Amino acid sequence: MSSKQQDLKDTERLPEATAKKVQTLALGVAAVGLALSAVGYMGDKQRFAFSFLTAFEWVTTLGLGALFFVMIQHVTRAGWSVAPRRHAEWLTSILWVSPILFFVGVFPNMHTLYEHWLGEHAAHDAIVKAKQAYLNTGFFTGRAVLFFAIWAVLAWFFQSKSREQDSSGDTKLTEKMQAMAAPGLALFALSQTFAGFDWVMSMDPHWYSTIFGVYMFAGGVVAALSVLAIINIRLQSAGLLQKVSTVEHQHDIGKLLFGFTVFWTYIAFSQYFLIWYGNIPEETIFFKHRWVESWKEWSLLLLVGHFIVPVVVLMSRHTKRNKAILTVMAVWMLLMHFVDMYWLVMPNLDHHGVHFTLGDVGALFLCAGLGFALVARRAAASPLFPLKDPRLAEAHKVENL
Amino acid sequence: MSAFIPRDVDNTLTTVERPPLILGKQSFNAITESVSDVVEGKTKRGWLVFFALALFGLMILGASLSDLVGVGIGEWGLNHPVGWAWDITGFVFWIGIGHAGTLISAILFLFRQKWRTSINRAAEAMTLFAVAAALIYPGFHVGRIWLAYWLLPIPNQMAIWPNFKSPLLWDVFAVSTYGTVSALFWFVGLVPDLATLRDRATTKSRRIAYGIFAMGWRGSHRHWLNYEKAYMILAGLSTPLVLSVHTIVSFDFATSIMPGWHTTIFPPYFVAGAVFSGFAMVVSLMVLVRKAYGLEHLITLRHLENMNKIILATGSMVGYAYAMEFFIAWYSGNVYERYAFINRAFGPYAWAYWTMVSCNVITPQLFWFRKIRTSIPAMFALSIFVNIGMWFERFVIIVTSLHRDYLPSSWGYFRPQIVDITTFIGTFGLFFTLFLVFIRFLPGIAISEVKGVLPIADPHGHDDHHGDEKEVAHG
Repeated sequence: MSSKQQDLKDTERLPEATAKKVQTLALGVAAVGLALSAVGYMGDKQRFAFSFLTAFEWVTTLGLGALFFVMIQHVTRAGWSVAPRRHAEWLTSILWVSPILFFVGVFPNMHTLYEHWLGEHAAHDAIVKAKQAYLNTGFFTGRAVLFFAIWAVLAWFFQSKSREQDSSGDTKLTEKMQAMAAPGLALFALSQTFAGFDWVMSMDPHWYSTIFGVYMFAGGVVAALSVLAIINIRLQSAGLLQKVSTVEHQHDIGKLLFGFTVFWTYIAFSQYFLIWYGNIPEETIFFKHRWVESWKEWSLLLLVGHFIVPVVVLMSRHTKRNKAILTVMAVWMLLMHFVDMYWLVMPNLDHHGVHFTLGDVGALFLCAGLGFALVARRAAASPLFPLKDPRLAEAHKVENL
Repeated sequence: MSAFIPRDVDNTLTTVERPPLILGKQSFNAITESVSDVVEGKTKRGWLVFFALALFGLMILGASLSDLVGVGIGEWGLNHPVGWAWDITGFVFWIGIGHAGTLISAILFLFRQKWRTSINRAAEAMTLFAVAAALIYPGFHVGRIWLAYWLLPIPNQMAIWPNFKSPLLWDVFAVSTYGTVSALFWFVGLVPDLATLRDRATTKSRRIAYGIFAMGWRGSHRHWLNYEKAYMILAGLSTPLVLSVHTIVSFDFATSIMPGWHTTIFPPYFVAGAVFSGFAMVVSLMVLVRKAYGLEHLITLRHLENMNKIILATGSMVGYAYAMEFFIAWYSGNVYERYAFINRAFGPYAWAYWTMVSCNVITPQLFWFRKIRTSIPAMFALSIFVNIGMWFERFVIIVTSLHRDYLPSSWGYFRPQIVDITTFIGTFGLFFTLFLVFIRFLPGIAISEVKGVLPIADPHGHDDHHGDEKEVAHG
């Protein structure tokens, strides 16, 4: 380490003014979202239920992606990611907002969203009747409560243990988190899969795909990594983190973002390709709905925007290490994650092409604003990196030769 | 910095500090000596015994294949409706075994996992030998082996082409590309070590033999610079390749509309299963090799434990995929899908299904316990179970889905014939013969790479103290 590097310092806490600014910004976005949502809701209640589900899925999958990031760092005993792990811990706070969003904004609209298995004609639908043991209000609600409980407890566990270590420096806490991470991942895998089946796939209860849970997972991780990249770059640029989170860590996050973008494509392609090749009407209907009128362009946007653009741009070492380019790509991927969620949810309502409305933007701003308001609060209340993590020295030494 | 770490240190204890990866003498020379000794020392009696057994297996393969070519593949137990059975099962089984090599050498390299260095060489060699064993099946299933080149799209005056829409043809492309890149990757990694053996050679013939393949390696800075670049590029290329191979193998089944085959999770599920079985094979073999050649300080308990953790993780992914298949078969409401899975678990092949579940999902869960993860006899037994289970997985997918089709009058049951069995045993003979030759004549552990993970090779080694003190002062 050169003497110049030794002069570098990491700031422990977000300056109060910055913390306030971020929180105000998040709440401001939420307020604008609320206003636009009100307009959307007044305009078309049914449509707004779908818009809200899209936004809820966007923010919840992002939180889940962050929870995955935290646990995978522990389970692999990673040394490079001490600081990004703390930032991902903040993001898992979203999973405390999600149940509120769900029970206020999604659950009351169940009959609109899941009309195909709750509505009147469900009783005369042989296929739906065959799966009533799974698709019924009671079990659906119970599962939702269980999923939220699992995520909330896991988020709480990893946040609180990590914060405890900030003051005590006890390495036993690292061991505890590591021990929890493996069973946590197993719980996470099952709960987020079935949440994907329940909340999104069951909107069209005739359609099914075994890979659907993995698809939801892949998109969420891409979104979480995008936010981690932005946090890393902002903290670097502000001169707050200079050792524990540098351009090297930015580069590593960029690599993961590239990797998971390809992984998402792999999963999306597997699903599309096998259904296309099999050509069974009960399966192809999913893609048929997403290929009528302007949905065709939307699907192509997903292909180009969620795969071709990021793969071409993020392939190079230089772009991943460039603050401006990586920021643009991270924001772009967050937008593409919304395009993805919109592509999953909205064709269940709009059978004749895309009908993008203010309510869609409003719901997104509302859910994202509320989620990130809590994230910002946690970020203001906790140090910017795990102060006494036993692997800090390793994180300082990360180099991409 | 101590120059010696006792060989009986338990480096698997879950501490937050990084335990030493390599035990014993911590010097470059000690590593060269330990690894070269396997190649340069006297032939061990145990090696000869195993080699004789492997050759016997290879002869069984030769006899079976001669018989197949002479009489025809009608000798296999295939019937109507089971038109695919042990042949494609064996192919998928062996292709899967190879995946650990690429995962260890390429993907773990990209993830900066230093523990890969002690096991990557042997695992990569296994990849090549497994691909060779796998190729036996598509090669000989054509019946007239002298026409096997028809598998490739070669322009000919009869204008006969393979079906480009068939995943079986994509397999030909995927596997041959994978085999080629894996061989290149393996060879590039070998070059510095071959030069080491060349320079140590005591006889002229050895010097010439190793010298030819060392390709003039002198270990200059420029050589290393080029080497590392090439290694990184090959790792980057191998990573999507290894995923594509088993993805396309899964397409052999999933692109059809057969209940039990047509399911969207097949691609990642097959990749996870392949890594699972490959790691099991690496554990089985490394347990034996490290013991036979006294390499316990290089392939330590920690390496084995890490591999067992990967077996646990990928085994659980496979379990997840089984669960998804079952759940969605029920959830689909499609009676044929439902029947295919109920028939799997409770039909005439229930014995195969439950063997698969026991070996792939239940027993690997024992690896949650550190005691079992770090016990040599336990991991050896479990790794064998995994390989049995993974063979049965392919058998279950292929045969149970085929044996009862939509027309009950044509339902059937597959019974392997003697040639089915001997061909499969014979592929083990081929695999082990090649592996034993490799272990005896080439450095089974990547000497130069292992040296790179020694503490004395760390250019920042002296910074450690600074870093730590600063952190203590920090809080």
